[in-house]
Amino acid sequence: MGNAIELRGISKSFGSVAANKNINLTVEKGEILALLGENGSGKTTLMNMLSGIYMPDSGSIFVDGKKVSINSPEQSAKLGIGMVHQHFKLVERFTALENIRLGLKTGGKFLLGKDTRKYIEDTAAKFGFEIDSDKLVCNMSVSEKQTLEILKVICYGANIIILDEPTAVLTVQEIDKLFDVMRKMKQDGHSIIIITHKLNEVMEISDRVAVLRHGEYIGSVKTSGTNEKELTELMVGRRISLNIERPVMEKTHPLLEIRDLTVRNDEGAIAVDGMNFYIRGGEMLGVAGIAGSGQKELCEAIAGLRPIERGQMLHEGESIVGMSPKKILDHGISMSFIPEDRLGMGLAPSLSITDNMILKNYNEAKGIFVDRKAAREEAKEAIDKLEIVTPSTETPVRKLSGGNVQKVLLGREIKSGPNVLVTAYPVRGLDINSSYMIYDILNQQKQKGVGILFVGEDLDVMLALCDKIMVMCHGRLQGVVNSTNTTKEDIGLMMTGALNIVNKEGKTDGIAADSAFEDKKEDANG
Amino acid sequence: MGNFHLVRRADYSIKRVIIYYLIGILISLSIGAILLMSLNINPIEYYSRMLSMGLIGNKFAYKNVESLIKIFVPLLITSLALGLAFKMRFWNIGGEGEFLAGAICASVVAFNSKGMNPFLTVLLMCIAAMLSAGLIGLAVAALKVKFNTNETLMTLMLNYIMLYVIKYLGDTKADWNFFLREDSDRPIFGEFPENAEMGGITIGFFTLQYSLIVAVILTVLIYFYIKKTKQGYEISVVGDSAATAKYAGMNVSWIVLRTMFISASLIGLAAGLATSTAGTVSDSITNNVGWTGIIVAWLSKLSIPAIFVTSILISVLQYGCRAAATQYPAIDQNFADILQGIILFSVLVTDFAATFRIAKREEASNG
Repeated sequence: MGNAIELRGISKSFGSVAANKNINLTVEKGEILALLGENGSGKTTLMNMLSGIYMPDSGSIFVDGKKVSINSPEQSAKLGIGMVHQHFKLVERFTALENIRLGLKTGGKFLLGKDTRKYIEDTAAKFGFEIDSDKLVCNMSVSEKQTLEILKVICYGANIIILDEPTAVLTVQEIDKLFDVMRKMKQDGHSIIIITHKLNEVMEISDRVAVLRHGEYIGSVKTSGTNEKELTELMVGRRISLNIERPVMEKTHPLLEIRDLTVRNDEGAIAVDGMNFYIRGGEMLGVAGIAGSGQKELCEAIAGLRPIERGQMLHEGESIVGMSPKKILDHGISMSFIPEDRLGMGLAPSLSITDNMILKNYNEAKGIFVDRKAAREEAKEAIDKLEIVTPSTETPVRKLSGGNVQKVLLGREIKSGPNVLVTAYPVRGLDINSSYMIYDILNQQKQKGVGILFVGEDLDVMLALCDKIMVMCHGRLQGVVNSTNTTKEDIGLMMTGALNIVNKEGKTDGIAADSAFEDKKEDANG
Repeated sequence: MGNFHLVRRADYSIKRVIIYYLIGILISLSIGAILLMSLNINPIEYYSRMLSMGLIGNKFAYKNVESLIKIFVPLLITSLALGLAFKMRFWNIGGEGEFLAGAICASVVAFNSKGMNPFLTVLLMCIAAMLSAGLIGLAVAALKVKFNTNETLMTLMLNYIMLYVIKYLGDTKADWNFFLREDSDRPIFGEFPENAEMGGITIGFFTLQYSLIVAVILTVLIYFYIKKTKQGYEISVVGDSAATAKYAGMNVSWIVLRTMFISASLIGLAAGLATSTAGTVSDSITNNVGWTGIIVAWLSKLSIPAIFVTSILISVLQYGCRAAATQYPAIDQNFADILQGIILFSVLVTDFAATFRIAKREEASNG
């Protein structure tokens, strides 16, 4: 078989940063190629050059053996290259059919003629897509939207399909479905490039793995002749232990108790629906759920950033409902939320590390001036303790690498000595090395007796790191499981709402036996 | 064309920026020279008059310095005020409107101040100007905070509203209209009583207006306000990421309201000082500082010391162009404005060139 795509000597730099250095990569026809690399190794940049978003500084691209220059996404589509981005590019108010029809070049004069519908539905059936073509995108789940995105690029005639971290937002069952579709596409002669961080998926789906490291092409290996350990070494450049530690601590009384919590999201819909849970000191409680199941709203409610609709929140027996974020912080609850864009919330990217250190307590200094001297000391301490790599304390945070940014954020949250630490996606977008350092920091806090709420994405990591995992689906609690005696599949079923074990064996999950609530409740009733 | 594209320069060197600026100024001066020669004017002579601002060999050189200060003070204060709002990513492009509102209210005080203590009069004028401009700013900020309206559109439209208000006052002959001269049949803006005019420290013939002292003190104060105070810190955080500010427990709405009030009322102060210095009001009292101030603030990358220096340079440019233009019968102030425009435009282009470079796509050597 010939090469569907060949890249020769592709380089691309942004300012002084070389994102891709002299990359040579081939994709054969009818092949699933996994593109592997740590964050910032240049995977997405490289794919964006194929899809016409960026143009290479140097190098040539060959499609089907012919040299081409891709100057725009339209040109890329004409060459039969289709990319499914991490962030969906769909019109929310349109149906599936309308979304596909939008970019379709053929299909008769009428926008939604019978031919168009037939073509789209036939294509869907051919590859085993389960899709309701008249459903509005805004009513679709994440996995439906993704299915639609893939169907869309196939309908546009793409032979080479690039999937940028398609599994990040899916449950285990949905991933299986996606992989089935991918295999069918492969049989049909399509070539697929899949970007992912998850090694087990790479092993399962791909034919060949290409590895990038620091913008350079390291090489490619046949999937059948390799293993996860070897791939990690290729990716990181040295040997690394893949075991996450889980120190077992003596658990204390419940520090934070949440009872019957209901919170609305920005659109006014119920995002958290009657949640019950608690965190003890020295315990790490994982929160699993499909993206957008109410995790963000839950964190914001605990931190006092979002008014609650109903319910109770007790911190060491005292209600924190209605308190300002500042007051809750003073109480000892600290939150670090890493949003998708990493810097959007929690840090001010253009300000220095020093300035970011005092973000939450700048107001404690006396008088009208900010106490930068003390802040600089704190910044220095955090840099030493957490091994933050930075030229100085005055470097703007946005100039730091992802791992260091997250360390600054955690460093600030830990600094105030909280006894409850809410951390959402602390390793989001981090490479393996940095992730492990973050796990270490969290474990140290746990060993100090801090109760940690860990909102995560990667089930493998959560199973290894957390003591217990609670699963959310559509804002509802589906159950709390002990990470030593559960499986990924069970959690996956709970994430989709297919399994609910909150009321198993006569006991209710999320309510502590030694709750501080009991006496309070009687007060309320009396 | 597909082979060329823009790349952000990796390093920022002040030396390169200065060299690029100088190149830009040189190019614009050459364009101006061609225009001048086509009008039979010796460009070298013209430019030397422009750069010396008519100071050399002039018996009344001190008058020119006074006039320069009149241009400089409002520009400096307005640029500082706009810089403050821009730092918060609040796109206040309503400097003109806020300035005019301030000027109108200061004139209301001035026209009705006969016999009052001069210091008190000027102080009242400034307060009236600051309050009126500040309230406009506050209103825009309130709409933004409450309904998330677009502040760029709001402030832009207010510019025109205020411009037509002052035109109306200047064109309407009526009993109530104390803005106009009573002894003239045609509508002309009147002059302020003497006690409403800006005083100063007299050094020989030269009068150092108090407004300059106010402006310099203000520059220092705003510098410390942004760099050292909690409020300044809050502005930086809100400007950088409003979500982060909220997350840190800041009252973002309050900060936006407060900062916009300060920014607009500072522009009002500039207007108060300018009307008092001019001794009258008119629809051209702003001297376009609301627009020029935006250029000053961004050319200075919102740094306060840089705003101070840039304001001086642009004032010299403005005044120099006009001073030179008055020396030749063939050209008038409009030519000075054209030249100024060319120079500012070139500097902006070279500023862009100093930040970005054009890169050519190379073919792979092994391709």
